[in-house]
Amino acid sequence: MSVVLTARDLTRHYEVSRGLFKGHALVRALNGVSFELEAGKTLAVVGESGCGKSTLARALTLIEEPSSGSLKIAGQEVNGATKEQRKQLRKDVQMVFQSPYASLNPRQKIGDQLGEPLLINTNLSAKERREKVQAMMAQVGLRPEHYQRYPHMFSGGQRQRIALARAMMLQPKVLVADEPTSALDVSIQAQVLNLFMDLQQEFNTAYVFISHNLSVVRHVADTVLVMYLGRPAEMGPKEEIYNRPLHPYTQALLSATPTIHPDPLKPKIKIVGELPNPLDPPSGCAFHKRCPYATERCATDEPALRLVDNRQVACHYAEQFVAA
Amino acid sequence: MPLLEIKNLNVRFGDATAVPVVDGLSLSVEKGEVMAIVGESGSGKSVTMMALMGLIDHPGVITADSLNFDGHELLKLNNRQRRKIIGKDLAMVFQDPMTALNPSYTVGFQIEEVLRQHLNLSGRAARQRALELLQKVEIPGAASRLNAYPHQLSGGMSQRVAIAMAIAGEPKLLIADEPTTALDVTIQAQIMDLLLSLQKEQDMALVLITHDLAVVAETAQRVCVMYAGQAVEVGQVPGLFNVPAHPYSEALLAAIPEHSMGAERLATLPGMVPGRYDRPQGCLLSPRCPYVQENCRTQRPGLDPKAHSLARCFYPLNQEVA
Repeated sequence: MSVVLTARDLTRHYEVSRGLFKGHALVRALNGVSFELEAGKTLAVVGESGCGKSTLARALTLIEEPSSGSLKIAGQEVNGATKEQRKQLRKDVQMVFQSPYASLNPRQKIGDQLGEPLLINTNLSAKERREKVQAMMAQVGLRPEHYQRYPHMFSGGQRQRIALARAMMLQPKVLVADEPTSALDVSIQAQVLNLFMDLQQEFNTAYVFISHNLSVVRHVADTVLVMYLGRPAEMGPKEEIYNRPLHPYTQALLSATPTIHPDPLKPKIKIVGELPNPLDPPSGCAFHKRCPYATERCATDEPALRLVDNRQVACHYAEQFVAA
Repeated sequence: MPLLEIKNLNVRFGDATAVPVVDGLSLSVEKGEVMAIVGESGSGKSVTMMALMGLIDHPGVITADSLNFDGHELLKLNNRQRRKIIGKDLAMVFQDPMTALNPSYTVGFQIEEVLRQHLNLSGRAARQRALELLQKVEIPGAASRLNAYPHQLSGGMSQRVAIAMAIAGEPKLLIADEPTTALDVTIQAQIMDLLLSLQKEQDMALVLITHDLAVVAETAQRVCVMYAGQAVEVGQVPGLFNVPAHPYSEALLAAIPEHSMGAERLATLPGMVPGRYDRPQGCLLSPRCPYVQENCRTQRPGLDPKAHSLARCFYPLNQEVA
C-alpha cells in the first residue's frame, strides 16, 4: 500500500494577546502529532472540544501553516513548496465540514458549486464539466434535476451529500472530514456514513475522519488517534484501542460513551473536572489532574509517546494496563 | 393518578388545515419516574414539552382532551395561575446552556430570582440557598461562582447552573430537553449522573428528551418513540431495545453504528420524514416501511397494546412471548 499522507511532529502554536501591557501567551493547540496514512485507509481523530482536532484538520488541508514539523502529501513536502506545487497539493487534499448549512454557498446552484473545482483546476469544457458533475451527483444519490437547485431546497443529509460530492470532484488522495455527521439525525447519519464508505472503496481515497462520537469512529476507522490538549494520548489499530485501551483517558472516553445494551456489572470510570485551560496547561502529563491513576511522577514528568502492545501510548504506566 | 397525564394532545401552527406538529399524543408520567422521549428532528418531541410549559406562541394552537399535571388542568389555567406552577413544580432544562442563561446577570442573581419568585426568600436567606444549590450541582468553588457571569463558565458549568435554577423550586417534574447534546462525552456522563442522582434524591419525575438512544438505554425506565408528531411506540427499557415492536423503533436502533458492529454498511431506512405536502393517508411510516402491507397505505393504526409495549402498527414485530 502506498502512503499518501505523512505527518512528522506536526505542531501549531497560536499567540494570544492578553491585553495591552502583558506579553503574548502561547496556546499549544497542536503539539507533536505524527502519523502515516495509506491510500484507502481511514485515520480517525477523537477527543473533546479544544483537544486540537480541528487545528489538525486546518494544518492538513493547508488552510494554516504548521508552526513546525513536516507534512508530506502524496510524496510532496508541504514546507517550502512553490506556488505551483501548492496548487497541486490543494487538489490532492479536500475537506468536508461539520455544518452543511454553512459550508455551501446559498446563492449558487448546486451544479455550479460542484463544477467550480473543475473550472478552477482543470481545462475541461463546460459540457465535460457538466457531465462529470452529473456523474458525481448520481454517485452520491442526488437526482439530475437537483443540478439547478439552491442549497436551501435540501435537507441536512442531502446537503452533506452535496458537500461530499464537491470534495470528491477532483478525486483527491486525502479527504479530511471534520465531524461530518454530528449535525445529522441518526438514520440520516447512517445513510451519509454508508456513502462515505462507498466512495472510499470506489476512489481508494485516504480519509482523516475527525469525530467525538466513538461509536461512529468504531464503524469507520482503521487507525484511531486519541488526542488530549493538543497532544496524542494514544494511537493504534482500531481493534486494539477499543478492545484494550491503555491510556487512562481513552479508557475514560470509552467508558463514558453510552451504549444501547449497558452492562450493569461493568463499573463506569468516572473522570472528574473539565479540560484544563490551554493557556496554562498542567505540568507533567496534561491529563494528570483528572486521571484516577495519577501519581507524583505524572505531575512532574511528561510521558513520551512510546510503543506498547502494538500501539503508541503516552502514559508512564501503560504497561500495567496491558496485564490488567 | 399519574403525575402528568397527556390525552390526545394536538399542536398545529396555523389554521385547521395545517399539518399537526404533534398529532394525537397521549402519554403519562408517574411520580419519581424517568421517562425518555426519543425521535429525530421534527418529530415533535420538543414541541410537546413546550406545549406543556405554555411556551407555544401564536400562531401555534394547542388542543387536548386533557393536559393534567399534579391535579391541575394546564390548559384551563390563566397566566397568573400557570406562573405559580411553571418554574416551581414543573421545571425545564434546555439544550444549549450558553443561551439558556441571561448573559447580563450573575449566576447568583439568576438563581436567587427563582427563589424570590417561588419561595419568597430574599436577602441573605436567598443567597445562602443559592450557594447550597450550586454545591448540590457539584460546582467547584461554589461561593466564588455566585458572582460569576455566564460567559465566565464553561458549557458543562453553565448546564449545572441551569440545572440548579430548575431544581431551586424542588420540582415534581423536571423536563430536560437534550440536556447533554451540546456537551463533550465525559461532561455528558457527569451531567447525566447529576440529573439521575438529583432525581432519586428528590423523588422527582424526569422527562428526558433526546435523539440519542444510547443515553436512553442507560438512564430511562420507560421510553416513548416519536415519528412525525405521533408516538409510535411506548415501552419499558430495556424491553423496547431488545424486542422493538414498531418497524420505526427497529430501524432507529439498527441505524446506530454500535448496532451493526463489524458490518460493512449500516442499515438505513430509505427516504425522509414526511413533510407538509406528502403526509401519507395511512400509516405515517408506510412509504418507508420495509414490512408495508396494502392496508397500511390506506388506514392509520392506533397506539394499541402489543405483546411487550404499546405500538402504532398493524403488523408489529417481535410478538413472541417468552
